[in-house]
Amino acid sequence: MAANQSASGSSDSESPSLFDSSSQPAPNSRSFNRSVRVAEKERRKNEAEDPFVLALKFFSDVEAGTPAFGNDNLERNLVLVERVAYSKGLSPEAISVMLEFAMSLRMGTSPCVRVLKCLVPASVVPQEAVVRAMVWLGVCKIPASTQVLFIKWVLTIFDMIDAKDQLRAIYGFIFSFVTEEYLCPFVCHLLYLLTRKESVRHFRVQKLLELQSKLGRQPFLLHLLSLYKVFCPEYVTLSIPSRMKSGFRNHNSPWKSALIAVQRRNGSQIASSASLPSTIKDKTSSRKRKHYHLELPVLCSQVNKQAQTEPSLGRKLVPLVQLSSFTQLLDHMHRIELPAQMGSLLGSSLALQYLDCVQDEFALLRLNFWLGYALHEEFLFCGDGRASNSEEALQFLDKLLSTQHFLQESFSSTEVFLYKFLSVWDGSLLRPQILSLLSNIPVVPSSQIGRLLFEPLMQLFFTSSLFFKCGLIECLNSMLLKWLVWHSVYALEDDLDISLNSHTSVNMTLSGFKDSVMELVHFVGRLASVGLQLEGGHSLLLSFILDFYETVCDTFLKYGLPLIVMFPPGVFFPALLSPDPVSVDRLAYIMYRYKVNLTSAKNQEKGTEQAFHINRQTFREFNHYLVVMVSCLWNSRMFHSGMGVELGEELLLKSNVPQYSKSFDLVHHPAFLSYAVDFHHKCWPERKDLDLDSIKQSKPWSWYLEYLHNQGYDGLKQIVPAP
Amino acid sequence: MGKRDVQICFRFGSGTPDMERHRSSGARTPLNSALVQRRSRSKSYRLSYRSCLGAASRLGLTPALTARRLNTSRRAPKSHNISEKVSVEQLALLLKKEWKLSYVTPLYRFRHTQMRGYSRQLSAFIAAEKHQGLAVDVEAAQGSFRASFSVIQGMTETDDDAETILIQIHSKSSFPGQDEPQRALWSGWLTCVYGNPEYLNSLPKDFTCLPLFCSSGSEVLTNAVKSWFQLTFDCCFGPLEISHTSLQWLVALWTNCHAECNIQHLKMIWSVPVVPPLQITYTVDGQDAWELWNSLRRDPQEEGEGGKDEEAGSNIDIMEVERFMQGLKGHFYRHFRLDLSAGSLKQVSTALGLAKCNGRMKISNSKYMIATLTLLTECALLKMPM
Repeated sequence: MAANQSASGSSDSESPSLFDSSSQPAPNSRSFNRSVRVAEKERRKNEAEDPFVLALKFFSDVEAGTPAFGNDNLERNLVLVERVAYSKGLSPEAISVMLEFAMSLRMGTSPCVRVLKCLVPASVVPQEAVVRAMVWLGVCKIPASTQVLFIKWVLTIFDMIDAKDQLRAIYGFIFSFVTEEYLCPFVCHLLYLLTRKESVRHFRVQKLLELQSKLGRQPFLLHLLSLYKVFCPEYVTLSIPSRMKSGFRNHNSPWKSALIAVQRRNGSQIASSASLPSTIKDKTSSRKRKHYHLELPVLCSQVNKQAQTEPSLGRKLVPLVQLSSFTQLLDHMHRIELPAQMGSLLGSSLALQYLDCVQDEFALLRLNFWLGYALHEEFLFCGDGRASNSEEALQFLDKLLSTQHFLQESFSSTEVFLYKFLSVWDGSLLRPQILSLLSNIPVVPSSQIGRLLFEPLMQLFFTSSLFFKCGLIECLNSMLLKWLVWHSVYALEDDLDISLNSHTSVNMTLSGFKDSVMELVHFVGRLASVGLQLEGGHSLLLSFILDFYETVCDTFLKYGLPLIVMFPPGVFFPALLSPDPVSVDRLAYIMYRYKVNLTSAKNQEKGTEQAFHINRQTFREFNHYLVVMVSCLWNSRMFHSGMGVELGEELLLKSNVPQYSKSFDLVHHPAFLSYAVDFHHKCWPERKDLDLDSIKQSKPWSWYLEYLHNQGYDGLKQIVPAP
Repeated sequence: MGKRDVQICFRFGSGTPDMERHRSSGARTPLNSALVQRRSRSKSYRLSYRSCLGAASRLGLTPALTARRLNTSRRAPKSHNISEKVSVEQLALLLKKEWKLSYVTPLYRFRHTQMRGYSRQLSAFIAAEKHQGLAVDVEAAQGSFRASFSVIQGMTETDDDAETILIQIHSKSSFPGQDEPQRALWSGWLTCVYGNPEYLNSLPKDFTCLPLFCSSGSEVLTNAVKSWFQLTFDCCFGPLEISHTSLQWLVALWTNCHAECNIQHLKMIWSVPVVPPLQITYTVDGQDAWELWNSLRRDPQEEGEGGKDEEAGSNIDIMEVERFMQGLKGHFYRHFRLDLSAGSLKQVSTALGLAKCNGRMKISNSKYMIATLTLLTECALLKMPM
């Protein structure tokens, strides 16, 4: 007791300086450790009298055979080391010395356990020390419980060992301990952590199987074997029952609290828990599933290895299952082995990253077969009405969608499926998902687009609710956007003559692409015209339609596609006469963008030879719309001849609307009437009677336009700039 | 109320048909539902954002996929002395057993040379599945099941067809060395007969297309074999039903054989959608069926030019099949005032074989099995997702 106190008293003052360096978060690199050690050596010269250093010196120099019982020297030094270990942790050097002392049994077995229990590393553990200790394990007569304790210690600090290459080099030596029954569970765990593909040998598999027949179904054997199966499924096969899926137990109890305390004090970031890397994927749900075809296959390594062409390469391949981080993926990029079932990639973002990077034709075909199979079975081949709105189907499609978004492209099997599915779809089953999938499909050649897309979609559109109509227009807008983005990206690449031609579509020329886009725009024009009539110009539908035309009007400037398509009158007039000011304003904005695009195209046409030719009809249409719009909103000349909307004179008189030609100008337009009234009140607060015509005088008119602009109606301002 | 079964069996020429009829009222309105068949439309091109999809382009471009429906014309089955090409022992394993049909997507990296390795792996896999949580040595598979793969040489009809694979699972516990040969607990085979050459050629060389999978034995073993295939060759299995139209084809194809080989009888089971469900078994004498068939067949031959007679005779057109079915139904209607068009054909059987709409079939005569397998291969290929 006395010795204990005196020792602690002296050590407290000195030791902090010795361990300053290691108390910083130490990166797990050996060069750094070496420099730390050099620094320590220098310090040691200065602080030769440090009792802790002396204690370590005692343990490294003590002669074999020195009795431990009643040895005060030993007791004093050990207490000193323990105190440092539990408060700040031991330096790599100290770990080496103490481990060597304990495992060599220089003072017999009695201090051994005590030393092992206090081996709390401050930063890292030198690999050499662990390897040496392993060797002692084979040489000395260490009691079984102490051997177990040692392996448990190695498992606990496994992630803190500075390198593992030498440990892997003695894999076979470590393996030999599996025959010791008491050590076997822990050795298996250690082997599990060390196993690389090279370490899996048939004789080892046989040894483990032999043990299994002796010991029965032991989880530790099974987990190690399952890892062997990952690497070499040609040697061993097994299926793990669900109750055994938890992995290896943690054996860090003797050190856990001390380690956590030391790490917290040192602010260390090193993870110490040698937990099982999750190679054994727990299935998403153990309950019995109805839809087996919708279940993603579990990621597991290829069994069919004999068929591989290069056996020498086969050894070095890394199964995708073994990778758990993006860095690892990058490290092994050149020798990754694809999983047995490509469908399993859908569940792993890491695998998708790989898939996106390697353009493996076979891999994609395999994935497409699986995906197409699942989609067909679920939605097309289900004669007995199984294609219910099931949760599984929903999740599956969501997963597929997120994958496609991640890869930014559609799978060809999805596409094939959609073309078939559209003709049997009721338009409501999983609508958001199906429409999203649809919006992802790549450019369809104009010769096929009608049969594959338009026919089924037209039927659905005209027989479905307003919300479906809106959804479909939105979907087609997003489809068009994706096509245009695709065009602008790859058109650029072609200009730069990057040899990425393989990345572009197989046989799509620019004119082919333009035809497809034009078909699509015309198709939406037809849908929109009739849809607006059917729904009485519903402003929600109109809004989606205008969204679409906001994309269309900018194809030239924004996406570099030499194509400008105007909207049909069936869209223009409902928008112009809409009772909703936002629609009218957006129409004006779209007209403005058309103008900018057309002007720019025309300038280019004059300037260069290779510019594209715009149909005169397009200009004519645009001019016509512009004239109608301006004369209707600004010039109060509605219903004049040649305006597109022509009504008989007597019919207009019959309507009893005074000054009918004014009724759709910016003051009297139903969409803006409330603004006109409000403006009137603000402009002439004292006036009792409402005379909206007075707004049309030149000064109030410009104020009124300014007022509308301040309300956020920019489009109107852009189409006719204030005088 | 359970099902009502009506069994009717008669000869055309024998005057009053010998029949039992329990009830046939309520089946007055002929629905056309019987002819409803999902016709999948598909595409004849492939475009993609990236070359990775270009892979699929090879498949998409095949016109094989655009014409995704059953052939409307097929060769009349000729007596095939298949036993000259295929060993009799192996052939015997395929006959007289009821097979459950499935379609299989192309197998990735399947090698016909690896049969022994596959046998070992499958045995080990089944053992591991059986003893959950017990690892099994693949090299020296223990366990009570022994799987064996073998190639049935000679079942192919064109160079594109892959050779048929037979899988048998024997029980080890049974004592060998007895007089009778060990019987397989489970057996199954994968085949491709006259597969659409354009489709087969469009597949990259690492894919083997054996689209038709027939299995017989316990469901547990079937599932184990399927799982092993899925894991090993990254393929998918789906049930293969025999559609109404395919069954009608079989009616015609088998009847057509009667001239060379007695089909004994033509037995059809129809189900009529009334409440409670009515099932009608309609049996026609083989000779009578053939005569009806022959009378219908004569017309196109007469129309055709003399030189083409032979050719016309060897091809059967869907129109002929439909006329034949119409004739059979019309005969039934005259006797029972029940229009079978309202119902659907569920099962067909003759002395040559048996086929059920739920995807089960039996081949009883090896001479005409190629025609049946051609039809079934075609059905399986129609199910391919790509």
